[in-house]
Amino acid sequence: MKVNQGSLKKMTCGAIAAAALLAMSACSPGGSTGKDGSASDAAQGGSSLTMWTFKQSHVKPLQNAAEKFKEKTGVSVTVQAFTPDDAYVTKVQTSAQTGDLPDVMEVHSNGEDFTYGGSGLLTNLADKVDSSWSNSFLEAVRQDGVVNDAYYKQSLAEGSKTAGIQKGERWSVPFTIGTFGIVYANKAKLAAAGVTEAPKTWEAWMADLEKVKAASGTTGGVSIGFQSPTTGLEWAMQQMAFAQIGPDAYHGLFSNDASKNFASANGTKVLSTYAQIQPYWMPGTQSLTIDDADIAFAQGKAAYDIGGTFTLAFLAQNGMTMDDIITFPIPEPSDSVIKDRGLSPFGLTGLSLSASSKNQESALEWMKYLATEEVAAQFAKDAMDVPPVSLGDKPEDTVGPVLGAMIDVFGSDPKTDYNLGDTSYKPGAYDGTPVGNALMELTPLATADVAATGAKMAEIIDTFWSQS
Amino acid sequence: MSATTLTDRERAADSATRSRGSAAGQGHHGSHRDNEAHQGKRQRGAASQSGTRGQRRREAAWGYAFVAPAIVLFCVMGAYTLFFGLEVSFAQWNGLTPTWKWVGFKNYLDLLGGSPLYSPEVRQAALNTVIVMVVVPIATVCIAFPLAIILNQVKRLSGVFRSVYFIPYVTTGVAVYMAWKYVLEPDGAFNALLTMFGLGSLSQPQGWLGNPDTALGTLIVIMVWSAVPVAMLLYLTGLQSIDGAVLEAAKIDGAGWWRTNVSIIRPLLAGTTAIIVLLNVRDGLQGFQIFLLMTNGAPAGRTNVLGLEVYDLAFQKLLAPTLGLSSALGWLLFIAALVVAFINQKVTKER
Repeated sequence: MKVNQGSLKKMTCGAIAAAALLAMSACSPGGSTGKDGSASDAAQGGSSLTMWTFKQSHVKPLQNAAEKFKEKTGVSVTVQAFTPDDAYVTKVQTSAQTGDLPDVMEVHSNGEDFTYGGSGLLTNLADKVDSSWSNSFLEAVRQDGVVNDAYYKQSLAEGSKTAGIQKGERWSVPFTIGTFGIVYANKAKLAAAGVTEAPKTWEAWMADLEKVKAASGTTGGVSIGFQSPTTGLEWAMQQMAFAQIGPDAYHGLFSNDASKNFASANGTKVLSTYAQIQPYWMPGTQSLTIDDADIAFAQGKAAYDIGGTFTLAFLAQNGMTMDDIITFPIPEPSDSVIKDRGLSPFGLTGLSLSASSKNQESALEWMKYLATEEVAAQFAKDAMDVPPVSLGDKPEDTVGPVLGAMIDVFGSDPKTDYNLGDTSYKPGAYDGTPVGNALMELTPLATADVAATGAKMAEIIDTFWSQS
Repeated sequence: MSATTLTDRERAADSATRSRGSAAGQGHHGSHRDNEAHQGKRQRGAASQSGTRGQRRREAAWGYAFVAPAIVLFCVMGAYTLFFGLEVSFAQWNGLTPTWKWVGFKNYLDLLGGSPLYSPEVRQAALNTVIVMVVVPIATVCIAFPLAIILNQVKRLSGVFRSVYFIPYVTTGVAVYMAWKYVLEPDGAFNALLTMFGLGSLSQPQGWLGNPDTALGTLIVIMVWSAVPVAMLLYLTGLQSIDGAVLEAAKIDGAGWWRTNVSIIRPLLAGTTAIIVLLNVRDGLQGFQIFLLMTNGAPAGRTNVLGLEVYDLAFQKLLAPTLGLSSALGWLLFIAALVVAFINQKVTKER
């Protein structure tokens, strides 16, 4: 009896162990795709493609483009959106493990594309994007998606997100460009306070904020999605600081030199100026997501909303018309080193080709098609986003006056125009979240003064340097 | 502990079987005829025993067959996940690369103070978690116990009252948390109510979840609000099982309402209290749904808890190679849960 039961037990345990082993081998990380992917073409994979995006506002414009692409080539493209951004990242992460990635993915340029590329999920496009293709992009963003020296060095840092990339590799081509640090203002609320035009200086903006708050009360403030702590840092403070103290001193804020970092005199100066906005935040903005902050602005709960060029489409989705809005870049203080600072456009999103795609030729053709001037301009108009191609001398004719005005502030001189995409002066292991959290203690939480905030920010950045 | 009990029981059963066998053997020393008769019986018994044995074997096989899917499922989805997670906790990995980098116990050490980048976050989250683990169970008991006593004594509309107080449990979930978010906004219903009743000075201009001083406390209140119904139900069940004679005797001895509840009912329901406390301690240790949905740790990490930190390290670090850290923190939480379970077992056994 015992022997038989033992046999049964052994058989059961054996079966279980075998099943577990099978499962483990099926799910092991070794099951991922190779770095360069397998070369396969449209003939192997048939004539249909799948493309993923993390922007709902891109779905319809992409579908419109896909219809025309099918007429031209016979290849159909299915567009799927997964939102918000972090859900999209998780979707890609899990699909990579199960081998279910689409042919083409929209990714954050010079970020996710490098992570996915370094992890072997994408096809290296370096020898596939020829000069005729890359020259179709604006010069300022032509190299976005390509691993340069700075990105390669960052990839070598301990704990880097982009480990595995090599210099010269191209993991995406530009798809949309733009910049952060664009302020959207509710025209009606401004008019009610007697403000009729965009401010030229930081001080003028503070004066406007005072007037608008007096006229509109709690609905006259500034909204921004502080649930992501980097927003205040990267969408407002940095643009202002770059102009106020100039590029070299600004880069020094992120160094590990105590005489230049956020705890220095320069740090005190920019933090003191930034803290002037404290009375004007929309009540409760410190706990809102980026989308919630935009929605609050669209609902009239705030007079100003800080975002980027990409915010416009979301505001339109939430019922705002272009006639309701005035836009302007984060203004520079009147004592700034740089006058008339511009904002450099950089690749916000790019298109990447999955290494596991069985339709590589067709996918490349689709990516190239989206980069043609006519298609890109139509996409920009439909999606209210900025394409990486030239829209001529009068971009407002194509994308309308509001987006056109934003494009007008674009500049690409590193001495006078702030480029958020340039991270070469930051430590390789840099992560904006803890730095942004420290800045939030100064404003909007008002739990720390300028000196304590500067010291904390410097301490965090020093930690990143020690890991780089 | 339970294994020891089982072994004792098995020993007792074996001993009983042996003594029954021995007694039967002594009875067989009677007459020869008796012996033959008994031999015949034994043969029939042996045949019958053999048949029973076969039947038992078949039953056992069927039993194993029925539980096999569940065991296989556990091995694939449970045991595999456990061991895979343990493996990952010793690695640096972003969940994408074909290989990972072994780092030994570094992830554990980083979390426990070795990394100036991660350990402050974990410390803050651990402190918040401890506050939740202490305050939520105590507040739940302090509200649910008297509520159950009162509801148990209500004669009219008792069903209606019980249903009303149970509603928070039935409706708890994503929708309720979102509703609470709106209620607690700067221009939400809660601030409006305070202003309406002349308590505007207590209202929160930044919202109850926006103020770093009130955010965690507000979430704790909502957790208690969600936990009270089940606790109340458990207490009501306990109250029903108290022998009326005990209460009658107390009454005859001159114990008043307060004395009866504090000195008789409370100790009699101590076991229930222990279960409620430990269930809520466990929820406080591992649960993070409310924190993810209502604040995601905001403002500036003031409502971050360990469960949310595990989730953040795994999925919210924008593909940084922190899956190992997440897994290591998960295992540290597992050890903490084991300690809680051990205390649970000790306390419930004592009760």
